Amino acid sequence: MANVFASIADWVNDRAPNLAPTYRKHMTEYYAPKNFNLWYYFGSLALLVLVNQIVTGIFLTMNYDPSAAGAFDSVQYIMRDVEWGWLIRYMHTTGASLFFVVIYLHMFRGIMYGSYKKPRELVWLLGMLIFLVLMAEAFMGYVLPWGNMSFWGAKVIVSLFGTIPVIGKDLVEWIMGDFLPADATLNRFFALHVIALPLVLLLLVVLHLAALHEVGSNNPDGVDIKHGPKGNRWDALKPADGIPFHPYYTVKDLVGVGLFLAIAAFIIFFQPTLGGWFLEHDNSIAANNLVTPAQIKPVWYFTAFYAIVRMIPSALGTAVWGVLGMFGSIALLFALPWIDVGKVKSVRYRGTGYKVALTLFVLAFLGLVMIGTDFTDELFPKLFGADIDMTAWDNAFGRVMTLIYFGFFVFLWLYTHLGWEKTKPVPERVTTHD
Amino acid sequence: MTKRYISTIALALGLLLGTTAVMADEGPELPSAATNIRDTASLQRGAHLFFNYCVGCHSLKYERYERIADDLGLTQADVMNNLNFTDAKFGDPVISHMPADDAQKFFGKAPPDLSLEVSAKGADWVFAYLNSFYLDPKSPIGWNNTILPNAAMPFPLWELQGEQTAVMKAGKPGDDAQIEKLTLSHPGRLTPEQYQQATRDLTNFLEYVSEPAALERRHVGIWVVLFLLGFTFLAYLLKKEYWKDVH
Amino acid sequence: MANEVVDQGRRRFLTATTAVVGGVGVVAAVVPFIKSWEPSARAKAAGAPVTQSLKKVEPGQQLIVAWRSLPVFIVNRTPTQLAALPAQDPRLVDPTSTGTSADQQPKYAQNGTRSIKPEWLVMVGICTHLGCVPDFVGEMKPEPFDPNWQGGYYCPCHHSRYDMAGRVYQGVPAPKNMVIPPYQYLDDSTIQIGVDAQGAA
Repeated sequence: MANVFASIADWVNDRAPNLAPTYRKHMTEYYAPKNFNLWYYFGSLALLVLVNQIVTGIFLTMNYDPSAAGAFDSVQYIMRDVEWGWLIRYMHTTGASLFFVVIYLHMFRGIMYGSYKKPRELVWLLGMLIFLVLMAEAFMGYVLPWGNMSFWGAKVIVSLFGTIPVIGKDLVEWIMGDFLPADATLNRFFALHVIALPLVLLLLVVLHLAALHEVGSNNPDGVDIKHGPKGNRWDALKPADGIPFHPYYTVKDLVGVGLFLAIAAFIIFFQPTLGGWFLEHDNSIAANNLVTPAQIKPVWYFTAFYAIVRMIPSALGTAVWGVLGMFGSIALLFALPWIDVGKVKSVRYRGTGYKVALTLFVLAFLGLVMIGTDFTDELFPKLFGADIDMTAWDNAFGRVMTLIYFGFFVFLWLYTHLGWEKTKPVPERVTTHD
Repeated sequence: MTKRYISTIALALGLLLGTTAVMADEGPELPSAATNIRDTASLQRGAHLFFNYCVGCHSLKYERYERIADDLGLTQADVMNNLNFTDAKFGDPVISHMPADDAQKFFGKAPPDLSLEVSAKGADWVFAYLNSFYLDPKSPIGWNNTILPNAAMPFPLWELQGEQTAVMKAGKPGDDAQIEKLTLSHPGRLTPEQYQQATRDLTNFLEYVSEPAALERRHVGIWVVLFLLGFTFLAYLLKKEYWKDVH
Repeated sequence: MANEVVDQGRRRFLTATTAVVGGVGVVAAVVPFIKSWEPSARAKAAGAPVTQSLKKVEPGQQLIVAWRSLPVFIVNRTPTQLAALPAQDPRLVDPTSTGTSADQQPKYAQNGTRSIKPEWLVMVGICTHLGCVPDFVGEMKPEPFDPNWQGGYYCPCHHSRYDMAGRVYQGVPAPKNMVIPPYQYLDDSTIQIGVDAQGAA
């Protein structure tokens, strides 16, 4: 038996001599810092969710009908008539939300430990592109069930492009292929969601990983292990603080995968709508172009950016400022490597000002999520009495959060470009906290 | 310092997720419908009520008779003789025999399909709705509802509940009088307690119809979660073993 | 640095155990995806037995009804057509339907007319070659494909020919007689397709 495997391996090696070295380069001879902590699970988890979305998505297309007349019915067909269809759909819907949970935590990790800084700017940019494509992918997927929230979500999000001066109105009709979201819209979103964007995503993920493995992983100390001493128990020339990705991080990630899947399974089997957060109640009503749902808002993962649209008032007769603000809030993340030029990477050794700013930034992001999901509409009356002016409170809170969000980038630029930051000494080598 | 920083962030996240989970259910506070889709007897009673009082106007277009039999522990004969009063086949979905055009004419709008009513509105809402009909001489159909004011639906369960009338709040003259509460002015065939139970059964049946897979998924889910936790434990032992090399 | 000796036995055992348990998990996760290809509740409901009245089918006529999306031919065979059947035996592959075509019909239709009542042919109209629907050519007259035609079925796809009982002729691509579905008489002039005849297995 072993001989058979060996001869097959030889046969392959003869014909593709670069295969085994490629595998070694990315797995057994990819030396990752040995001090990864909890935050480093989310990269592999993102890959896991991507695979889940692709597999379950392929099976959903087998029974889904991408037409305005049949889409809603076909989702119920999947939920009821197709054997195990409900499981496949819940895996897809839960996966979509968990994708963003994982990606947001992954991005926060990158910010916290300065993983976007030289030499990893390209890794960060590719990652941001993945995030951008993922948002488009999620939005179009959200439209496909053709419930009333899908319909009005599509209408509102596409209308964002209508605020662009001069071409806005024509652009909106071009995107929808009709005057309201209709058959044509659903058809093109389906095509983009199931094939075009997934191809782009896969390509970007490959590039993201290739770029990462070229420069090597950052770590919670922000120390570059390649610049440290050489020689470990596997290779005398490799960094002393590096360990082979396989098997050490594959087995470690396996623990994360198991725990993550257990949590995901709990949601899928016991709380698939998560009280309306992962699957919204109003989407149980078929699309109706005459009736807008009582509360029209995007799914939670878009709300932080979407809330910014609401918080910036129109001026000079156009609503484009809010939309600019929204896209700007994402564009600033792209520019992070050039906004923050501080020499120290990890939050562990950065100045107090940075720690405070980062905390406020996270809280502002969560605050915007709360505004965008209308969560504050329930929270504020409970905290401050039922007779408060909700619009005024919402706007005041939301504008402070928006200011803090953008203020983070302004502060960071000043803080690092003007040399205000007082950093702590960075250790020579990585530290382990076991 | 850093440890504390990270735990603060984690705590904030945990708090946010915690409060959102607690407050996830939206809308005005309604009394709990206290439904339980695993109570098969309640589902059966609810199904009987639905097919005696509701199916005249409302369809369950995504639910098949055969599925009702399978999930509610009924035989084909039970369903075809006692629930299905149309010429639909056993494998067909539950379609009301009222033509949509007639319904449009009688009520001004077609009675909605109820397959997903509980998914859309929640069990508590449906339960409250069924308990909130009252006589209203100003309404063209004679009935009104406090949960869904000016509903186009007459009250089909009146012979069970009886007739409720509205008690208005004392207000300044000229104000639109507000309803304070409903009182039973004319008792029906059931006592108030029996009627509550009947509407609870009906709500329960509609909740089941909203997502028949809910019966199955919890059953499967417990094993999946336990398996994954077991796997995680094994993976943890494996990780510990390998990481003896790294210190 | 770990200098203690690695316990290779424990390491191998844990690796194998995790791999096996993980493998079981993957296989279990694949099952729902495979099962999702089974005919759905809608397909099964559409495939339920079909009841058909025979009253309006005149002698010599064919009626086609759908059962499980399959075309089912219901033919009221004339006495002449029936009389011509035994004469075809020498030209057929399996005239008694007991050889290669033994599984092409229920036991109660394994006879010379391949039916419960001689005049009524009830048959799935799918050519046993590659699944086309053969043309019904009931008239007994010379045809381009057979100068001695005694009525039957002619498949336009690859020219397979069958007689008026769906029995395949020799020398054509189709290997077997056409399929007779399970069916039963509810009364003299009503049949139900998809359910075996009462008293038959």
